[in-house]
Amino acid sequence: MGRLDGKVAIVTGGAKGLGKAFCFGLAKEGAKVVMAAHRLDTDEAKQAAKDIEAKGGMTVEVDVTNEESTKLMAEKAVKKFGRIDSLVNNAAFYYGAGRKAFHEISSEDWDKALDVGAKGAWLCARAVFPYMKEQNKGKIINLSSDTAFAPTKGMINYITSKAAVVGITRVLAGELGKYNICVNAVAPGYTDTPASWTIGNVAKFDTSTTPLGRVGKPEDMVGAVVFFASDESDFISGQTLIIDGGRRVH
Amino acid sequence: MGMLDNKVAIVTGGANGLGKAYCLRMAQEGANVVVADIADKEAQAVVSEIKAAGGTALAIKADVTSEEATKNMAEEAVKAFGRIDVLVNNAGFYHGMSRKPFDEISLAEWDKMMDVSAKGTWLCCRAVFPQMKKQNKGKIINVSSEACFAATKGLIHYTAAKAAVIGITRVLAGELGQYNICVNVVAPGVIDTPGTRSYINMDKMDASSVPMKRFGRPEDIVGAVVFLASDDSDFISGQTLLIDGARRVN
Repeated sequence: MGRLDGKVAIVTGGAKGLGKAFCFGLAKEGAKVVMAAHRLDTDEAKQAAKDIEAKGGMTVEVDVTNEESTKLMAEKAVKKFGRIDSLVNNAAFYYGAGRKAFHEISSEDWDKALDVGAKGAWLCARAVFPYMKEQNKGKIINLSSDTAFAPTKGMINYITSKAAVVGITRVLAGELGKYNICVNAVAPGYTDTPASWTIGNVAKFDTSTTPLGRVGKPEDMVGAVVFFASDESDFISGQTLIIDGGRRVH
Repeated sequence: MGMLDNKVAIVTGGANGLGKAYCLRMAQEGANVVVADIADKEAQAVVSEIKAAGGTALAIKADVTSEEATKNMAEEAVKAFGRIDVLVNNAGFYHGMSRKPFDEISLAEWDKMMDVSAKGTWLCCRAVFPQMKKQNKGKIINVSSEACFAATKGLIHYTAAKAAVIGITRVLAGELGQYNICVNVVAPGVIDTPGTRSYINMDKMDASSVPMKRFGRPEDIVGAVVFLASDDSDFISGQTLLIDGARRVN
């Protein structure tokens, strides 16, 4: 018996990295998972698609910056599974984002980070809202980052989008509470994913100021997402949970 | 299969209200529960309830303001169950506290509040620390309150003590991370318990400013405590999770 038996969960950016870990973590607890991704044609995505389908899930190609595309994503999920219980807004402009200083980041890269990370989360929440409202229940889990909770260097576009996610979370918690929709954020620290390796050398990351003494693994983030998607968190909304081994506190 | 199978969990103030709810639920999840309380008769009743449901539990009389008593509590727990995986620092001075303006609260009541809620939390952590250190793993869950997250009136002693608990949590997360001990806080909102009813009329409370349009029940809090006690939260430390239907955000 899983903690998410019979529930339907959409994960954006679901075909790789953390998103993929969320998909399989949610499926393991019994959820029917909608793996939504911008690119489903890579070898990794094709394999992930095959694996999630084998667990009763489905895939949807989505551009979270496009309103029509997000609406279609929600429609396809409901057509196949009849409802939407959880949305994990995981899609972000992170892979290959680089670690440039604020005056070296291009205007295009600023727009891209904010479009995917902030506007994308807003649009996906809008897309699933009618269904969650009708159900009088829903869970939205947004991905922030521990980088938004301390002085950092570089990646102002990415970090701004992750701070914006906290704002989106709080307003949605306020606006959607009356429909029994809970909206929370998880904020991972530096996590060992292929995308993190495009930002820096994960193996050489200085963990001396991390109380738990190591870099995160995708599996470290899954438990919190399952918790926020489950009925165990039905009275928790508007909150941000940092998962980074105690490096930042909130 | 429970989320806390074979784990040993101590809950201070476990005989009544929220503490009792934590004990019952953690036992359901497979934990061996130590119900620690100064009210030993009521603690014994909780143990009987757990045993009647097929669980394992032990009552220990403990005054958390006494170093000797907290050490004895930890020793008895280890003697009975061999280890200590979880400590829930739930004991607080709450039932019957004065809801007066700051200049009307007696010094004696201030001292009692700080002794039980702040010093008691610190002493219980000290008491279980050697065992958790030996295990190279442990989970400490402290209990704060949403009262510290907004401008409020009255209860300055309670609110100060509950804010102190957040400070204790952050320092312990920093100091104990190297031993793989995670320290986090849950901060409930207004919860319908006998303790709450001892100082306010719950039936006349206005929930219109709570996005989720109701106040909490003990069941609303237990899921987060189980999550933070479980292996699902092994990379989360130093964090504060509000559980109040989004009335405040953190």
